[in-house]
Amino acid sequence: MNVITNDNIRSTIALAALQNVIDPEIGLNVVDLGLIYQLDFDEAEKKLYCNMTLTTQFCPMGESITDAAQEALQGAFPDYEIKIQLTFDPPWRHDKISEEGRKFLNR
Amino acid sequence: MFQGSNNGISTTTSYKVVLPFYVYAALAFLIATVFLVLNTGDIIKHYFHPYTLAITHMMTLGWGTMIILGASHQLVPVFIEGRLFSNKLAYTSFILAAIGIPLLVYGFYSFNMGWPARCGGELVIAAIISYLINIMMSMVKSKTESVHAVFVFTAVLWLLITASVGLLLIYNFQYHFLPDDSIDYLPLHAHLGIAGWFLLLIIGVGSRLIPMFLISKYNNVKLLWWVYGFINGGLLIFIFIFLHKSNRQFYLAPLLLIALGIFLFGRFCYRAYKERIRKKVDEPVKMSLLSVVMMILPIVFIFFIILLLMLTASENIRLIIAYGFVLFFGWITAIILGMTFKTLPFIVWNKVYHHLAGKQKTPNPKDLFNASVFKWMSLSFIAGFTLFVCAVLLKISFMLKPAAALLLITAFLYNWNLLKLVFHKPALL
Repeated sequence: MNVITNDNIRSTIALAALQNVIDPEIGLNVVDLGLIYQLDFDEAEKKLYCNMTLTTQFCPMGESITDAAQEALQGAFPDYEIKIQLTFDPPWRHDKISEEGRKFLNR
Repeated sequence: MFQGSNNGISTTTSYKVVLPFYVYAALAFLIATVFLVLNTGDIIKHYFHPYTLAITHMMTLGWGTMIILGASHQLVPVFIEGRLFSNKLAYTSFILAAIGIPLLVYGFYSFNMGWPARCGGELVIAAIISYLINIMMSMVKSKTESVHAVFVFTAVLWLLITASVGLLLIYNFQYHFLPDDSIDYLPLHAHLGIAGWFLLLIIGVGSRLIPMFLISKYNNVKLLWWVYGFINGGLLIFIFIFLHKSNRQFYLAPLLLIALGIFLFGRFCYRAYKERIRKKVDEPVKMSLLSVVMMILPIVFIFFIILLLMLTASENIRLIIAYGFVLFFGWITAIILGMTFKTLPFIVWNKVYHHLAGKQKTPNPKDLFNASVFKWMSLSFIAGFTLFVCAVLLKISFMLKPAAALLLITAFLYNWNLLKLVFHKPALL
């Protein structure tokens, strides 16, 4: 998983929180699934931008997944305003799944 | 810094649009199997028997078409990466078809080609037109080209042609404006529906969903275009041969093309299966894959039907009945039994738990239906289907009722699990 960030320490906390967000169909968390692209912290504005994708555009579960990510990040950073931003550029591919994720899917 | 937006969410089709189709289809399947149990002896007498026509239309329209219409209102936005054009048109399709189908089936059951059958047929056509406009406008408004959406759209065009031919045949009963009797056009009507509507649609949807649910690395759009070409080419050649009343051996040409299309789709599914990332395949996907394998049966049956027609110049009624049975109670039913429990749990999960996502632990979509009921449903389906086909082909009359009863059990268990899903109440963990 290669998540771009401007704050390594805080992003570790954010990713730990996002590991509780599970794709209901696959049963794997959004971090190991490779859905999280970028986490940027705006210290001055107290904003956390989370740039993420979905396995399929217009995925019927998309809104639930982004809402859950929003909730998870808000729980980890209650003082920050969380901005979830969806992107499909680049689109999600299977090689974005982490090694742990592959082990989980290989069970 | 960020190029992202919230496009791509919040636009999935409302469950209110989709659920009525599923419930209606489930009840139609139950009624069709009740028909089958009550009229087993009559149904296998001839494919033009009123009860056979009634049950066939209950299965093809009430069961197969209604559930496909419902699911595709949810799936087409995924294919085209855009929103459904109109919920109102979707409701219109449902209402028109929901009224039209029972009228049509009643017309066939009582063999009264008067107003119920005509009005039923007209309402069904109006429902298809409403659906076609909805799909077409959704595709026009989307910027994404999708082979799957083209499959769906073409399939709906064939459905419209199939239904229009069917309505012509109903009117031809009384007014005799066609050169031949209505029964002579049945092969045309049936195969436009089977290959044009069901086959194209199932391949179009299946080629998207099967790799998606398997989390497969495999995708081959070029191959799907070949499949599209073979099936549509085969159908056009079939129509030409049929209308020109050519020699029966010429029917082998369109059969070969369509069989090639099916073979390539089977190969597509096999590659998707082999290159899957998720090793564990769940039961509904297994059932869907079984239906892909079951596509071999009608190809073999129709080959022998044509062969016998060439050699003996007479129809083998039992083989034709078995052919129709493996199509509607086998292939189409198997994929619906499987895909219902891959698509509907997500629709219901979104309805019940969407607002709780991330706030509380919720069950997984696959936990919303009873897995053991699904297993028993699958077993009774496979047993009932196999017994019925063997009983028809081998003329074992006493086996027909138990086989039909097993299919009734399948329909009952399907309904039980479906209603359990539809009326699911929040269960927080």
